[in-house]
This record gives sequence, C-alpha cells and structure tokens, in this order.
Amino acid sequence: MEFENPKYHQQIVEDLMNGKFILSKEIHFEDVKENRDFYEKFFRHSFGYEFIFKPDYAYIISSETNENLSRDICIFIAILCYELDKAGINFLDKIEFGDFSLEEIDKYFENSSFVDLIKGNNSIKDYDSRRKLIRTMTTKNITEKNSEDRFSFTPVYKVFIDFAKELAESSKESETINQGE
Amino acid sequence: MINEEPISILRFISNYFDIIRELFITQKEERVIRRETFEIICSKYSAEGIKKTLFKYKIVKPLQDDYELRDVYFNLIEFILFEFRPLLPDEIEKYGVSIQELFRKIREGINSDKNILLDRIAALSEEVKKFSEAVDKNKIRLLSETRDLKANVKRIGYREKIQKASHWTEHYILPLNNILNVNHSESITNKLFDISEFANQQRLILEDETIRLQFEKLHRQLIQTNDDIRSNHKVFINELIPLIDRIRTESLVITGWIEFLKRPYKTVPPRLFKTDRITPISNKFYLNTKEYFENFQVVEDFYIEQEEGQEVRWIFNKSYYKSKLSSSLPVENFFVWCRDSLELEGDITNEKLLALTTLLFEEDIQITESNEFDEIEIQTQSSSFIVPKIQIVKNGI
Repeated sequence: MEFENPKYHQQIVEDLMNGKFILSKEIHFEDVKENRDFYEKFFRHSFGYEFIFKPDYAYIISSETNENLSRDICIFIAILCYELDKAGINFLDKIEFGDFSLEEIDKYFENSSFVDLIKGNNSIKDYDSRRKLIRTMTTKNITEKNSEDRFSFTPVYKVFIDFAKELAESSKESETINQGE
Repeated sequence: MINEEPISILRFISNYFDIIRELFITQKEERVIRRETFEIICSKYSAEGIKKTLFKYKIVKPLQDDYELRDVYFNLIEFILFEFRPLLPDEIEKYGVSIQELFRKIREGINSDKNILLDRIAALSEEVKKFSEAVDKNKIRLLSETRDLKANVKRIGYREKIQKASHWTEHYILPLNNILNVNHSESITNKLFDISEFANQQRLILEDETIRLQFEKLHRQLIQTNDDIRSNHKVFINELIPLIDRIRTESLVITGWIEFLKRPYKTVPPRLFKTDRITPISNKFYLNTKEYFENFQVVEDFYIEQEEGQEVRWIFNKSYYKSKLSSSLPVENFFVWCRDSLELEGDITNEKLLALTTLLFEEDIQITESNEFDEIEIQTQSSSFIVPKIQIVKNGI
C-alpha cells in the first residue's frame, strides 16, 4: 500500500512539530491549505494535537503548552503596545505594517513605567535577554529579521492581539455583572 | 507588650489573611471598621474564635464603639497589596517643611552641641526617607488609577472620563510634579540638592569623625533619593501629565493588555506548542541520554566478598594419616615423617604436628626404643620442637 501524502509533508510536519507557525507566504502553506482536513486528522490521530488553520498562518497546540514562553511574549507585546500608544503612535498599524529597530525597543522598555515587571522577568529584563526573546520569536515565525538590527511582526501577532481583546471583553463583562449586582 | 513569639503573630496573619484583608479594605473605604461589620466579617469566615487573638496580638484596637487596624498592620497590608491611598500634595509637602527646618538648624548648629547635631542628622535622614516613600507610593497609585482610566473596563462615558482625568491631573499630578520638578525653585527636590551639596562638603571638612560619618551616610542616601526622584519624575512627565490626551483614544487591545499586565503571572496566556526535541548541544542532552540508557541496562545481582577467602579449618583425618603411615612403614624417624607429610600439604602448625603424634598410641603401631641422644628439631609456624628419634615398624614385625 502506498502512502499518499502532500508534496511538502515532511517540511510541514517538521516545522509544526518544532513549534513553528507556517506563514501564508511560505511555499508549503498552499499544501497545508489544500490539505487542512488531512492535517487536522493527521495530528489528532497521530499525536493527539490540535491543528489550527487561519488564513494567514497555521500551527498546532497540545495539552502540554509552552506557557512561560507564551507569557513572556505577551508581556513583551503588551508593554510594547502600551508604550507605542503612550507615544501617540497607532500601535496596531505599527505592529502590522511597520518594523522596529532594536534600539527603539530598548528605548521603550528603558523608559517604561512597568519597570518592576520588566526587571523581574528574565526574558525582557535587559538588552541581551530582549534580543534572545526576539530571536526565539523569529525561530517560531512570530517575528522576522529584516536586517542585523531590525525586525517586524508576522501575521502571527494576531494570536496575541486576539488574546488581549478576549481579556478586555471578559474583564468588561465581569465588571458589568459586578455593577449589576 | 506582646508576650507572644513574633513568628506566631506572622503565622496568624498568614492563616487568617482573608479576614485581615477584608478588614483592611473596609477601613480603607470607611476609615473605621464598624462593630457590626467587624462581627459580620469574622462570622463570614466562621472565625468567631479569632476575635480575641486579633486584640491579643494588637492587630485590631477598639475605637470607642468601633475598631481599626493598628497603623503598623494597616501599612503592612497596604504595602503587600500595593493598595496605596493617594496622598494629597499637602500631605507630601509637609515633609518639605520639616526637611527645610531641620536643615536650617543643622547648618546653624554645625559647631554647637554634637549630640543634638547627630540627632538632627538622623531625623533629617528619616524625613527624607518618608518623603521618598510617599512619592513612590503616590506614583504607584496614580499610575494604577490612570491606567484604569485608560483601560476603562467600567465603560464610563467620555465626558466622565475626562472629568476624572482632569481631577487627577489638577489635584494630584500637577502639584506633585511641582514638588518633584528640579527646575522649580521651591520644589522639595531642589532643597534636597542643596542639602546633598552641604552634606558633601561637611563629610570632607569636619574634624569630628562621628559627625563626618553621619554626613557621609546622609550624602549617600540623598544621591539615591535624587536618582529615585528623577526616575519618578520621568514617569510624571511621560505618562501622568499627558493623561488627558492619552485617554482621548480607547482601544480594546490596550484595555486587554492593561488588565493582563496587572496580573501577568495569574492569567493563562495563549497556548503555544511545546517541543520535546533536544539537540546534542542542549544542556539536558547528557542527563536525558543517560536516563534513557539506564532504562535498558540489565543490572546483575552482586555480592560483597572479603578479599581473603576464609581459611578452611584443618581437621585431623586419623584414618587417612594412619593408612599413609602404614604404607610408609618401616619409618626410620617418625617426626621426620610427620614433618615431610605435613610439608607436602601446606604449613606445619603445632596443632597438625601434635595431632599426628597421636598416631604413636595406635594399637597396631609398634615403636622401637630410641637412642636418647639422638634428637631432632622440628620447626612449626610458631614453635620449635625438640623431639627424640622414634622408629616405627609394622605390628608384629
């Protein structure tokens, strides 16, 4: 019996199993898109993982999650958005279309009023740790390197922005319930 | 005086922290804890019995018909919860007055009574510390208030939001900014710079070493305080003063992030895939490989053995030696035979030699008379035997 599989099957599985997001601009994304149902079943039956497909990216998640990395990325993006907004910049436009220099990132973090939180987090506490976090995000396709000292966010940023929106909605809902009581 | 172990008090606070927190919140909102509220809180947690202990440990004190947490505990809980009451600028300005007054007296009395001078330096240091802490607490509180206003979780209208922002800006932020602004001639920060300069001079020129050391300490404290004030002032300029402009825009995403940043370690973040792959350069690689191999390793039973095997006890086998003797008959010299026989089998010991001697008493052994001058020496491991020459012939021969 011959096992029929998509053309870039090996690369797709390898990337996803390495915790990488597959982006729509990547050559194997088309394969993923055409075989969504196959991959959904493949990862569920083979490993018990959940396969998530979005128009801009695809990734897998399991019951065991990399919570620390996810939290550090959230803190990083949250402070960045807050500081951009404070500086009067449209933070969503900047994240979606713009790019950042490492120097600019340092300036935002060094002047942030979330100083206690920054100093207490090993992934963002200083110049080197922030670079390491950005490198890690690049290996996962959350950010991409544009030059030696510049990077930009890929559409994967939406995972984190959606998380913030959901959090805001639930906070507002619980506040409304409290007021109602 | 509290006749209890300090650790018991801390353990009590830890065990009943929920009650103490509720008492704290009540007092913060209503300034006192009404008797009925106190009863309700204690009974809510089914902790009627702790009321006595609250008084015994002097955590709560009666205030006519009501109660209040003692200042020291109120401040402790306030600090732990980061729930600071916003201080009015007038409350902070009072430190400026006391600092100024103490500084004047120190300067004027620099050559008078040494003890009072030392006390004044200590008092000034204490006031500077209190001032710095008050500014820090106020900054934390104002940041929290303004972030809440920006997040607008309570969905208050734009008009009300601007009113609140104006209130904070007018009554708290701008006056406090004046206190901190180094360019403002009357600001406390400016006074602290003057004092720092004075302390710096005195620590170098005064003759009395004790006073010099105290000025040295004060100078170091003021350098740190000025750094703290500068960083706090930066927050005022960048974040608090532009408050009204900042709250004009509202974003669901910023609201979410502000809520997240309040409790980043208590909120479950988005799920990201956790990889198990370990590269050969990973620091876990060695131990994981070792563990893996150990799973398949066959472990055999092992015994601990002494290096020298236990010595086998020699047992005299009479019939064996008797038959050996019989086959060697006639024997010219019995003891030489004994020695030769034993030598062939190992060491000669007293025990072996004496055991073999018993053969002489066997019935079928015939001993011939010996010449008394004919003696030989037999050497054993531990002794030397001088024995006569005994000839043995077969019985009846």
